[in-house]
Amino acid sequence: MAAIASSSATTLPEGDTLKASTFQRLHPKAYFERFLAENLRPDGRDLDEWRAVSLNVGSISTADGSALVRLGDTTVVCGVKAEIAEPELDSPEDGFLVPNLDLPAICSPKFKPGPPTEEAQVLSDRLNDVLVAAGVVPLSSLCIERGRAVWVLYVDATCINYDGNAFDATLLAMVAALKNTRLPKATFDEETGRTTCSRKTRLPLQISRLPASMSFGIFDGTHIVVDPTSFEEPLLETTLSVAVDENGGLVSVTQLGLGIAGGQDVLMRCIASAKDRRKTLGDSIWTGSVAKT
Amino acid sequence: MAQSNFDRRRINGPDESFPPLFEADEEDPVHNLPRTRRGRSADDIRPIFLKAGLISQANGSAYIETERTKIACAVYGPRQSKTTVYSENGRLNVEVKFAPFSCTRRRAPIRDAEDRSVAVQIHQALWPSVRLELLPKSTLDIFITIIENDGIEGCIASGSVAASAALADAGIEMLGLVVSCAASTIGKEIWLDPTEEEARMASGSLILSGMPALGTITNVWQSGRLTPEETIQCMEACQGRCLDIHTVVAQALLDNAQVT
Repeated sequence: MAAIASSSATTLPEGDTLKASTFQRLHPKAYFERFLAENLRPDGRDLDEWRAVSLNVGSISTADGSALVRLGDTTVVCGVKAEIAEPELDSPEDGFLVPNLDLPAICSPKFKPGPPTEEAQVLSDRLNDVLVAAGVVPLSSLCIERGRAVWVLYVDATCINYDGNAFDATLLAMVAALKNTRLPKATFDEETGRTTCSRKTRLPLQISRLPASMSFGIFDGTHIVVDPTSFEEPLLETTLSVAVDENGGLVSVTQLGLGIAGGQDVLMRCIASAKDRRKTLGDSIWTGSVAKT
Repeated sequence: MAQSNFDRRRINGPDESFPPLFEADEEDPVHNLPRTRRGRSADDIRPIFLKAGLISQANGSAYIETERTKIACAVYGPRQSKTTVYSENGRLNVEVKFAPFSCTRRRAPIRDAEDRSVAVQIHQALWPSVRLELLPKSTLDIFITIIENDGIEGCIASGSVAASAALADAGIEMLGLVVSCAASTIGKEIWLDPTEEEARMASGSLILSGMPALGTITNVWQSGRLTPEETIQCMEACQGRCLDIHTVVAQALLDNAQVT
């Protein structure tokens, strides 16, 4: 097989590019190993380098709050729609927060049209855990009238382009969309039993925590790669996701796989790396179209 | 949405939830729409922003934005047909999905008849333009996601433009680019590229799709009450506008090809 040119200054002649991409398709693991031997990844990043994040909020007028996140090539659009419902009998002051992620056929050739795949279901469930368990929006703030009417926030995210690490991108999009949401002022009429909303006054949501997630993967029990792409993801036998809030507090840690990387304590290393990254991202990321590495 | 079926594959909210009701005494835009068009003239279309190649995973893609209509389209193909029946000509498969937050009232993620009817219209608009005879045993999958929706007419028109641009971006051989334009009759006037409010107020609407390069029409969809003379007038107005849209699309594809 053709040797991949290691000099970054010269561009490959067309014949070599074709051979490299064929090698990538036929032997993805060996292709990846060749890069890791040089401490690099196929897209040119270091093993611990994160992709640039860009965030754009409030562009969808039909949604009460919206956000578009681009994490490298992974693109996720999230919209928040608010509706009114009766609360549960055993929690009469709590509203509802319903997050869902959709991975449709448009975003990648590996998804077929139809009902949500296992991957989408698992990611939706994990997002639900992070958003609801972390208490990003205190459910009592969604109450309109105790026991009669509460807000239901449907937070729907759709992936438009899937290049790995959909979880991080979606969590970022959902929290940004919630931060961007403005609910109309609602008044409950005791006599008619109906809730009417004002067209003029809109109030922002109460956001108590701003979690962001960082994902890691372990390849071949030796290398820890950060922010995997869709090429790298199927080759990693362990994936770790750490969600950290704005004070450096841990919100959620999930690990799929054994987690062995040359005998080091992988979990603590990843948590430390995630906390650093959260601090670098800061809090200004949520408010606008800021691209940060 | 009043009725929500429990979908065991998604996170569900409460059994029943209703969209917010707004106070009746506040201004209701539908009935107060003025007789002369607000913001633009009767035959002005809204500016189109079209960018190709945004979806890296797909063979070809396009994103179109016209004020309040935002549509992303991806083309996967030609890929192997899953069926065992031999087909001499390729298959063109169009699937449309509305994002739940794209309409004023939240749409359930379940696909319903409206998705299918938009998909069928776009399929009819594109089918004559693609050289399917060069792709035996293959399928071209076109996936369209509607991110923001400003009326069905706008969706079908912008959707077919995006799909045609995505096919061109994918390098599929075509006879020409397909562009669409919508028109509505309000009273005696014909307004091009109506918004959702304008289309609701209109007595009839028409969407015309065609290939300006060949001077042919591929699809006409008319709804509402239109006399035959009005229909012909609408079609002529749309066809004229299609030439301008074609220039925009061709320029966007050229810019994209020059960058990459």
